[in-house]
Amino acid sequence: MAEAKKKRMSTFGYVAKPMGRTIRQFYGSFVRGRPNTILYPYQKLELPPTYRGKHTIDFKRCIGCSNCVQICPNDCMWMQKLEDPELGKIERPGIDMGRCMFCGLCVEVCPTVAIHETVEFELADNLRARIKFDPRELRDDKYADSVVEERVKHTIPVLDLDKCTGCEKCAGECPEMCIAMMPIEAAGKSKPEFTLNRCTGEGKCAVSCPEKALTMKDVYESYFEMPEPKFVLKKCTGCGACVRACPADAIYMMEMPGTAKPTKDGKPGKNKKRAVFVFEKCVGCGKCFRSCKFDAIDMEGVEE
Amino acid sequence: MNLFQFCYGLIHWLVILVNHLWYWLGGVLPGALGDFFTGIGDLAASHGNIAVFAILLEVIVFVIIAFINVLNFIWLDRKFMGRMFDFYGPYYVGYRIGGWLQNIADGMKLFVKEIITPAKADKAGFLLAPIIFIGSSFLALSTIPLGSNFGVETSAHDTGVPGGALIAFAFFAIAPFSILVAGWSSNNKYTLIGGMRSAAQMMSYEIPLLLTVASVFLLAGSFSFNGIIDAQKGIWFVIPLFLGFVVFLVCLMAEVEVQPFDLPEAEAELVEGWTTEYSGMRFGLFMMTSYLRGYIGGALATALFLGGWHGPTLIPEPIWFLIKAYIVFVVIEWARWSLPRIRVDQILNLGWKRLMPLAVVNLLIAATFKTLGWF
Repeated sequence: MAEAKKKRMSTFGYVAKPMGRTIRQFYGSFVRGRPNTILYPYQKLELPPTYRGKHTIDFKRCIGCSNCVQICPNDCMWMQKLEDPELGKIERPGIDMGRCMFCGLCVEVCPTVAIHETVEFELADNLRARIKFDPRELRDDKYADSVVEERVKHTIPVLDLDKCTGCEKCAGECPEMCIAMMPIEAAGKSKPEFTLNRCTGEGKCAVSCPEKALTMKDVYESYFEMPEPKFVLKKCTGCGACVRACPADAIYMMEMPGTAKPTKDGKPGKNKKRAVFVFEKCVGCGKCFRSCKFDAIDMEGVEE
Repeated sequence: MNLFQFCYGLIHWLVILVNHLWYWLGGVLPGALGDFFTGIGDLAASHGNIAVFAILLEVIVFVIIAFINVLNFIWLDRKFMGRMFDFYGPYYVGYRIGGWLQNIADGMKLFVKEIITPAKADKAGFLLAPIIFIGSSFLALSTIPLGSNFGVETSAHDTGVPGGALIAFAFFAIAPFSILVAGWSSNNKYTLIGGMRSAAQMMSYEIPLLLTVASVFLLAGSFSFNGIIDAQKGIWFVIPLFLGFVVFLVCLMAEVEVQPFDLPEAEAELVEGWTTEYSGMRFGLFMMTSYLRGYIGGALATALFLGGWHGPTLIPEPIWFLIKAYIVFVVIEWARWSLPRIRVDQILNLGWKRLMPLAVVNLLIAATFKTLGWF
């Protein structure tokens, strides 16, 4: 602590200094420039790009996983089924701005960074119904490309299991030795599993794949630890509901050879099928868990 | 032609115009009734009647000038203060003329507000205080001429109010009394403290103020504004009596209760000081009158120290006078928005230990100049 010195105020310090300060301010705001005030309805403050205002949704980036709806603490979002001429039957989130508290969790949780908060803040209206925005009103397919992305991107190989033959060429090519061929239980095949924290994203595996089953894709790193589905093979009936429900196309149906039972006619029947998960694509939305009627998929931390 | 002659002529012309009716009625109606109307016409055309109405007309002219100036002053104050604090001040209401109409809009708002008298207030004092405050201020205003031929005069040969400066300061000093009455009668602790502070403040500034004014009287050898301003034709009194001018300005700021000395109306300590209980247009009139007192203060400083209406003849006399008064007002406002408020004990220290000796020294200087025969 500095010593509290009792300073004797002189006439200069008491009168001339403050008056000089104010007249300099007067010169600054009257002669040299303008006052600092922004005359709001006529002039607008340039808001920082990280300002949290009205949302936009990029329909082409959005996969309809409903992660944003699930994380919203105010329950102000909902998934709406739409018919789009370009994209077909889709599900996109709508937002009730009257309940939104602009926390930005929906923006952070989005696996494809399709939802953004703009600097638009003039949302007041006479009717509450008018600030309950349909997904079509929030649609802006160009906004997401125009802003600087803050999320960390990783380039990782993404597997299309329909094309994969299990030839192990990718595992041989990988310079970091991060690909291991893992057998799929009861399917008699194996698929490459990636140790992603070692992957450098060079793409040699994608080049080497003869079937072009591997493609290099930019995947955003999530701020949240998303739950992963656990598969219980015994209970799976092979109905394929989870495949239809998955927004990220991470689930494939695969035949299990040797499980075919002959029909009553004596003809050879069809093999049973099972679901196979490609976890690199999984966004942790829990839709497969909810769609499975036979409890064959277990997911911790996801509501029914 | 001075203002009295002009007003006299105007009233005379009006009276003659109306007298056609009275004399016509007097001629038409029979007997006593006709004599009565003829008598009214004679009374209206008499010199005394016309002179009284001419003086009233003069006062109306001065009040209108004062009102326009007060509107200008409030606008100037708010704009100047805004620019000093880095914002715009009045802007939208009449934005083509710099937000000048904002004061009128504020006045209209105050007009439609309810006027409340507190239940436990002393009704008579509560009503009387604004009357005294505003009336004394207007009386002080009426004595100040704007030009050698432009002032309130009582006859065609007068040059202003005789002893006008004395009367002006006498009326100017009544205000603390009305503030005390208002503070006491409102029956509120804040108003009471404000009124008491006003009385205490008056102790400190009134004597140095009048001592500096006395030095001006000494140099000019006259008590009337016309005499004082005529004496400054060669050299303004601000040059020989610069010390006195500074003391006068400081005391003037205390007199018109602007910021470093606005102890009775200390917004930070007492809610709104002695005007706390006044609402609606009563408060508006108080506010307007406080700016009117600022205008009177500027006019007094102009008349006593800055040579009044003397200046190059390019600009007419009243305009010169007003320009100087505006400059003094702006300087007062500049100090007002720059300096922090002082305490009650500090203002007494300042008044008695600093301003009083300086005022006496200033009086000595004036006496020396007068004895040497320079003025």
